[in-house]
Amino acid sequence: MYAPVGHTATEQAGSGGLTATEHRLDNGLRFVLSEDHLNPVVAVCLWYDVGSRYEVQGRTGLAHLFEHLMFQGSAQVKGNGHFELVQGAGGSLNGTTSFERTNYFETMPAHQLELALWLEADRMGSLLAALDEESLQNQRDVVKNERRQRYDNVPYGTAFERMAALAYPEGHPYHHIPIGSMADLDAVTLDDARAFFRAYYAPDNAVLAVVGDIDPVQARRWVERYFGSIPSYDGKVPPRDGTLPDVIGAELRVEIREEVPARALMAAYRMPRDGTRECDAAELALTVLGDGMASRLYDRLVRRDRTAITVGVGLLRLAGAPSLGWLDVKASGGVQLRQIEAAVDEELARLRAEAPGPEEMERAQALVEREWLDRLATVAGRADELCRYAVLFGDPQLAFTAVNRILDVTAEEVRAVAAARLRPDNRAVLAYEPVTSADPPGPAGDQASAAGENDKRDGAAQ
Amino acid sequence: MTDAAVTMDFYPQPGPGQAKPWAFPVPERGTLASGLTVLRCHRPGQRVAAVEICLDMPLDAEPDGLDGIAAIMMSALAEGTSQHTAEEFAAEMERCGATLDASADYPGARVSLEVPVSRLTRALGLLAEALHTPTFPGSEIERLVRNRLDEIPLEMASPGRRAAKQLAQELFPASARLSRPRGGTEDTVARIGEASVRALYQAHVRPAGATAVIVGDLTGVDLDEVLADTLGGWTGDAAKPVPIPPVAANDTSHVVIVDRPGAVQTQLLIGRTGPDRHDRAWPALVLGTYCLGGTLTSRLDRLLREEKGYTYGIRAAQRVVRSPAPHAAGQAWGMSVLAISGSVDTASTGPALDDVWKVLRTLAAEGLTETERDTAVQNLVGVAPLEYERAASVARTLADQVEEHLPDGYQAQLYTRLAETTTAEATAAVIAAFPENRLVTILVGDASQIKAPAEALGIGGVEVVTA
Repeated sequence: MYAPVGHTATEQAGSGGLTATEHRLDNGLRFVLSEDHLNPVVAVCLWYDVGSRYEVQGRTGLAHLFEHLMFQGSAQVKGNGHFELVQGAGGSLNGTTSFERTNYFETMPAHQLELALWLEADRMGSLLAALDEESLQNQRDVVKNERRQRYDNVPYGTAFERMAALAYPEGHPYHHIPIGSMADLDAVTLDDARAFFRAYYAPDNAVLAVVGDIDPVQARRWVERYFGSIPSYDGKVPPRDGTLPDVIGAELRVEIREEVPARALMAAYRMPRDGTRECDAAELALTVLGDGMASRLYDRLVRRDRTAITVGVGLLRLAGAPSLGWLDVKASGGVQLRQIEAAVDEELARLRAEAPGPEEMERAQALVEREWLDRLATVAGRADELCRYAVLFGDPQLAFTAVNRILDVTAEEVRAVAAARLRPDNRAVLAYEPVTSADPPGPAGDQASAAGENDKRDGAAQ
Repeated sequence: MTDAAVTMDFYPQPGPGQAKPWAFPVPERGTLASGLTVLRCHRPGQRVAAVEICLDMPLDAEPDGLDGIAAIMMSALAEGTSQHTAEEFAAEMERCGATLDASADYPGARVSLEVPVSRLTRALGLLAEALHTPTFPGSEIERLVRNRLDEIPLEMASPGRRAAKQLAQELFPASARLSRPRGGTEDTVARIGEASVRALYQAHVRPAGATAVIVGDLTGVDLDEVLADTLGGWTGDAAKPVPIPPVAANDTSHVVIVDRPGAVQTQLLIGRTGPDRHDRAWPALVLGTYCLGGTLTSRLDRLLREEKGYTYGIRAAQRVVRSPAPHAAGQAWGMSVLAISGSVDTASTGPALDDVWKVLRTLAAEGLTETERDTAVQNLVGVAPLEYERAASVARTLADQVEEHLPDGYQAQLYTRLAETTTAEATAAVIAAFPENRLVTILVGDASQIKAPAEALGIGGVEVVTA
């Protein structure tokens, strides 16, 4: 039933001796196995190639709501049994939904691997046997409370939602974020959920990674046994095209008058797609600019000008649309945003004009390298990255060499990507002006966002 | 079966294989000539090392009226040393790929470093500088104070942080440091200056009495030599221990609403105080609290989330706030804050609170079931090897043990004791921890909508305060 289709990676510089093998079942399920016997633990991670970019108008939030329904039982697993069985076996578990994928993961004591595979296969093959109106109503309420807790009841909580809506135009698949709107969540029907499952929760639309203290021969047999008979589905509708011009062309700007504790300047820049060398250069450019207490913007705004309380910068890597480089500055009491904007623009202009020096490159590359080492330090982190590269780029082995590609970027490439992208005519700006509850509200925002506090990468959890 | 499309082959639920042994690592303990205690722990495969420096400086060490100075002083350690300016220090540290965090909490102060093992020596050298020769430049202290003053309103805008501040104020008398925020208030922070920061440093930051925890893949690292070249250079005399005054907590049932007009959710925080980890009943408390509100399948979430949909999640947990060495002469007893917390939509506030109390009353009347207890033990003990893969997780737990004056083998023993805890013991502990008529309830939400429902519940008098 399985046939190895890939290669066994040889040890790569920077990969720390990590290797993985790739396989495929007849029904199209791709799976990746990676052995690591240092701890008696194993991670099972399953990425379905579906996220909020597949949602249609009027059904935003469906992918994420559906993710919740995946924990409500299947043919052989009753009610909350998925959670109960994994936790009772000494494991931990969750699922998350982003623009481009939905992932599910269990980290287990090594001797409980078979249970995790059985559970994942049961819901992949038979969720509809258990899915009912009661679960849908209940999880709809839970998700609406998740939205309130993480977006609507938090200062600046809707910033990410607003920023995505500005940076990706109306009708674009990334215009709305995974959490969805309250009205659309209310509108989801059981038939929507069933159709969504049939279209996307098929073995040929998923990648499974098993990483840790495993016997690979045994693990392959189990994957074949439990997943092998699940039928494939060839009717998947591809997502709408996310292609956009490299730059927006003119600054987009929304002034927001809300009850927030401080003025804030947030901006989103269209950046190169994930999987390109330019995207790696962009990550370093943003790190030079705003990551860490020796970054240019921290040094300028927090240390020298003392106009900002905090500076946050990051890159939301996207494979199906331009990535999003974000900036989040909270203004110190009494400081006007135009003063901060002028300083930010000076720093951007400097980076566009002149390549960072060797010490700044060393700093940026060392920070990104440590983040990678951290991500690969756990079996769950490794399993997630293997799935990511397999689903989005067709090659899980790229996970082990990602850090090498970062270290290979030159200072001139960092300058070049800054010159091409980190420009005022390529950004969507949110300018927050605090009001008290006694003041009249500003222009009604119909979307939300996530600031530095919120997870930029995933729309949701469990 | 409601769907004819299910066509896969089904197999019975598989059982477990042979479990493999795992134990929480026991560190190797040593002392440098300077009096600095070193706990080291080799974790194969962990290429990012974690270092924790524990300083025996509880917040009770702060001078009266200067709440927040410990946090400012700890941050200022990295803002200029005898060899580097603040900017140079940050750049050097980040060129190691390192992150450095400094914090001050009620039981003690901490510096946490994470760095690839390949650059451990360089980063430890910088850390030693920060501990031994900080210069506390006046302009940097002034900047940190101003920044902190700006941060306070940002923190208080978070419903969870605001609720925690109110709970501390309700539980402890105003004279107790525990009643006031870790990072101070606008009034106290505004008074902090260079001289008082330097004085606090001189009184409490010494290698003698401090502990360095170092965890990571130390293959090929001669740690003794590395330490001799770095932290070994940090010297000084012994500091006087900080006296911990006794504190009486108030758990008279009452409700405080922190008014947030228009809030779409209510943040709940329902708590009182409990013992610290020296208490013999601690494992039973951990087990019972997990059954009450440790996860999505615990009693609170089973009802409030998975049946009613009132919340994204309600949790019950305990946090140690003071933990002196047992039987230390003249020292107060240890203490934790026990709390149930979560957010519910505004309209469901009354029904959700009612359900929380129903869960507590049912628990008190019927106790935990054997199955509940067994599942909880299997989870709490079973997840240990997953929780402690990263060097940073191991280092944090070892540092917590040091800070709380617990033996190095505490965590390893905890797993054994959890497995030995009976259903009756766990039941007794959780009922004692959350008695339905001795709980302080904080609600951060729209008073105009939630005050009447809260009053109707009979969980104590209701007072409304402004945000």
